[in-house]
Amino acid sequence: MTTGSPPSPRTTAIWIACIVALGLVPLTGTYVTGLAAEILIFAIFAMSLDLLIGYTGLMSFGHAAFFGVSTYTMVILGVHLGWSGWIGFAAGVAMSTIAAFVIGFFAIRVSGIPFLMITMAFAQLLMSISVKWRSVTGGTDGLSGFQRPTLFGLSLENRVTQYYVVLVGFLLVLFFLRRLIASPLGSIFIGIKENEQRMLAAGYPVQRFKLIAFTLAGALAGIGGGLYGLHNAFVSSDILHWSLSGDAIIMVILGGAGTIIGPIFGSAAFLLLKNVVSSHTHYWLLWVGTIFILCVMFLPQGLWGFLRQRFGRRPPP
Amino acid sequence: MLALDGVHAYYGNSHVLHGVSLRVDKGEVVCLLGRNGAGKTTTVLSIMGYLAPRPGRIEYDGKSVAGFAPHRMAKMGFGFVPQERGIFPSLTVEENLTVAARHGTDGRWTLERAYDLFPRLKERRRNLGFQLSGGEQQMLSIARALMLNPRIILLDEPSEGLAPMIVEEIVGVLRSLKGEGLAILLIEQNLRVALDLGDRHYVLSKGEVRFTGSSAELEHNEHVLSEYLSV
Repeated sequence: MTTGSPPSPRTTAIWIACIVALGLVPLTGTYVTGLAAEILIFAIFAMSLDLLIGYTGLMSFGHAAFFGVSTYTMVILGVHLGWSGWIGFAAGVAMSTIAAFVIGFFAIRVSGIPFLMITMAFAQLLMSISVKWRSVTGGTDGLSGFQRPTLFGLSLENRVTQYYVVLVGFLLVLFFLRRLIASPLGSIFIGIKENEQRMLAAGYPVQRFKLIAFTLAGALAGIGGGLYGLHNAFVSSDILHWSLSGDAIIMVILGGAGTIIGPIFGSAAFLLLKNVVSSHTHYWLLWVGTIFILCVMFLPQGLWGFLRQRFGRRPPP
Repeated sequence: MLALDGVHAYYGNSHVLHGVSLRVDKGEVVCLLGRNGAGKTTTVLSIMGYLAPRPGRIEYDGKSVAGFAPHRMAKMGFGFVPQERGIFPSLTVEENLTVAARHGTDGRWTLERAYDLFPRLKERRRNLGFQLSGGEQQMLSIARALMLNPRIILLDEPSEGLAPMIVEEIVGVLRSLKGEGLAILLIEQNLRVALDLGDRHYVLSKGEVRFTGSSAELEHNEHVLSEYLSV
């Protein structure tokens, strides 16, 4: 990231064109709109994980925990207590933040593979709670019957309203992360990833900043999870399964770790493959796997790194 | 200001420092000399708190600081320029400096002063860390340590692998820092640089101090020079 230099007119134009294009998606019909909403939701999830993998150097394999805790909180409060989805949304993000703080508190004591295993273990722990506590969570059958809330008199039962709510959440998270990375706090995260020892010598209690990054990433994943709840109005224990954490890692690496934008492409590529290929063959994961391997071999910077190298004027750092 | 007394250090089971004692006073340049593997870097890492505390006393302004974590040492006024320089490759030169600039005791050092000291860095301030030459990286590493407003700075072979002209520039900077009263603990393989800058010298071999003395004393001690410094 080079900071301080204002974006070129070309860059600004591309940004505006992309946002307008996203705003026009509902014209294409409900199927595409629903798929686009899902892509944006998982893009939020993947971007939040990129803060850990790509910027702070923490390979978390339990990120689904924070996505799922938020969705569960919202749907449980709605179904059992009849709370509005908006209050549920706020509560969900709060719960994710708390969960990330608590799990992070233990996990950041180690790094590398042990960190990966501990984050995965915590996520699996939450999943087994969701499976066993049937009276509240509905277990593996899931919990249905969530009433989506309304916004300014518009019901979120409508796919188009849903989509715009998701789009707003997506843009807020995207711009928040870009500002964060360009801020001094962002430099601290990058510094920790690139040379932890040196950040200590610069007077930073590195552990504390890792916990800040982990908690922030959990909160942002919670926003994704909340939007997923509004979008799906259903939750089951699958949402806490380790494979969802794995999907997020694939999205980040496929799109390009440490770029914020990359994971959006990763999410789009992953879900398009899933939706398009799975309508032709059961073995869609085979294709995802093959493409992932080819990407890692030939596009080490991910899809976004490749696009930027090809069409950008600056080589990616 | 800084005093080590009988400091030991281990890497795993191997005993690397066998009771090193040394002293750095205010405004003094002290050099640590010795062959590769003599324990110079280990001494500095022990001071900074990168190694687990072991027998021996480390005192700073009369207070024990043994076992303090590196970030605490940094806040107490220790600047550290490691051998590998440790530039953050994907931050710009300016970000490399500002990321270090947040914990100062007074604030003598600003971006402008760092750029005055190393005009080359100002020219390259928007460049990313990985785009710098070795000499520029070393300048950035020193400037970044200064941004913490240290009272003492520990440098691990700042002249290593640099062109003679760059070495001259860095020696000039260290001399002007000394002139401002900054205490310096310098690990140096280049004897000429060490004799030129240092007030006092400690020669290490196999984790023990074998010689202590001024530049003049070291220069005329043939035995120490040939035995421990392979000159």
